[in-house]
Amino acid sequence: MAEQDEDSLIGYDPLAWMHRSDFNQDSQKTEVGESEADSSIKFVSSTEEASNLEMDLDQAPDDVSELSSSEGEGAVLVLEPVQNIQNVAILHQRLTQMLGNFDVIDIDASNVTMIDTATLQLLLILKQTAIGLQKSISIDFPSDKFIAAAELLGIAEMLEVDQAASGFF
Amino acid sequence: MRARIVAVLNQKGGVGKTTTSVNLTHALAKLGKKITVIDFDPQSHLTVSLGVVDPQKGGIDEVLLEGRNLAKQLIPVRENLNLVIAGPRLQEIEQLVDGGARRGDLLRKALHEGNRDEDFIFIDCPPSSGVLVANALFAADEILVPMTSDYLALQGLSHLMGTIKKFESALKKSYKFSLVMSRYIPTRRMSKDVLSVIQKYFPGQILATTIRETALLAECPSFGKTIFEYRPGCRSARDFTALAKDFLEGRMM
Repeated sequence: MAEQDEDSLIGYDPLAWMHRSDFNQDSQKTEVGESEADSSIKFVSSTEEASNLEMDLDQAPDDVSELSSSEGEGAVLVLEPVQNIQNVAILHQRLTQMLGNFDVIDIDASNVTMIDTATLQLLLILKQTAIGLQKSISIDFPSDKFIAAAELLGIAEMLEVDQAASGFF
Repeated sequence: MRARIVAVLNQKGGVGKTTTSVNLTHALAKLGKKITVIDFDPQSHLTVSLGVVDPQKGGIDEVLLEGRNLAKQLIPVRENLNLVIAGPRLQEIEQLVDGGARRGDLLRKALHEGNRDEDFIFIDCPPSSGVLVANALFAADEILVPMTSDYLALQGLSHLMGTIKKFESALKKSYKFSLVMSRYIPTRRMSKDVLSVIQKYFPGQILATTIRETALLAECPSFGKTIFEYRPGCRSARDFTALAKDFLEGRMM
C-alpha cells in the first residue's frame, strides 16, 4: 500500500495496487493446450516423478512471448478438460514461467473433466512454492471432477478448493 | 428490450446498500421506470424497509431452490416497483455444496427465463462474499457500489475490486461499474479525503450526487416507508431524486 500526502488523513492507500497492476487491463490469459506441446517435451513417466518436480525459477524457459512483459501483474491459466501425465510436463513448464513473472496467478479449473494425481501434485507444489515466494495462487471455479479428485487425494483443503468452490474464490 | 440488471454490492456492512436499493429504486419508479428489486440478503432488510412483513412467505429462495417462476414471486409494492422478497430459505443457498460453479449461475438463469418488461432489475446483495454474491455477479450487467467515506470502507473497496476483477476474468465479461457515496458527511475532513482517493482511482465512475447522512434515512425503515413517503421533499429525498437522474443520465463526478 502506498502512503498518501502528509496532509491527508489516509495513511496508507489500500487501492494503490489498482494503479500498480494497471487496473483497466485484463489479466493475461494463457491457454494450455495439447497443440502447444511439441515433440521436444520430455514427459514425466510416473506420479512419483511428478511429485518431485521442483519450482526452480532458474529453469524457467526464456520463451514467454504470450505472457505480459510487465512483471508483477496477475495472470490466468485455463486448464484443459483433460489433465494427465501426458501433458503435465508442459503444464509444469508454463506454471514455472508464470510463477517467475507474476505475483498473482489464477488457475481456471472450470473445464476440467479428468485430472490425475500427477497434475494435482504439481498444482500443490506450485501453491506451496508460491507461498514461500510470497506470491498467490488461486484455483478458480474448480469443476466437480476437479474437486472430487482433490478430495480423493486428500489435498482439497491445501489447494483451497473448498473455498473456491463456494463460488467466490 | 432486456432489463438492465444491477447488483447493489459491497461486502462491507453498513455502507448503505439497502438504503440505496430502497430509495433509488423508488426514485426511479417515480420517474416512470419499471423496476423489480430483489431482496438478496437473508436478513430481509429490504423487504422490511418496503413495508412487507411476512417471514414465512417464499421469494427468491423458492426461485433458486425449487425452480419456481420469478414472475410468480413478484409483489407490487409501489407504482412501477415490484419486489421479490428473500424468503426464509435464502440462507440455504450459501450452504449448497453440489453443482460446482453452476451453483453461482442460478439467479442468472432465473432472470433470463420468460419475457420481462422491466427497465431495471436491482439485486440488493448481502454484506458477505459467498454463493449469493457469486450469483448476483453472474447475473448482473452492472455493479453499483455504495461507499461510506471512512477508511475501513476504502479497505473493503480494495478487496471488492479484487473480487470483481476475478469475476470479470473468469466470466470473460466487463461490468459497467459505478460508485455512490452514501452516508456522506460533508463537514468531516475524512469524508473529503476518502472521496479524493476514490476519485483518483475511479474517475468518471462516481455518481455525481452524494447521499448525505441524515437521521431521517435511518428512521424510515421502521415505518416501512421510503424517504419519499416518510418525509417527501426533505434533503435526503432530494438527494435520491438527483441520484436517480444521475443514474439514468450517466452523470458522474
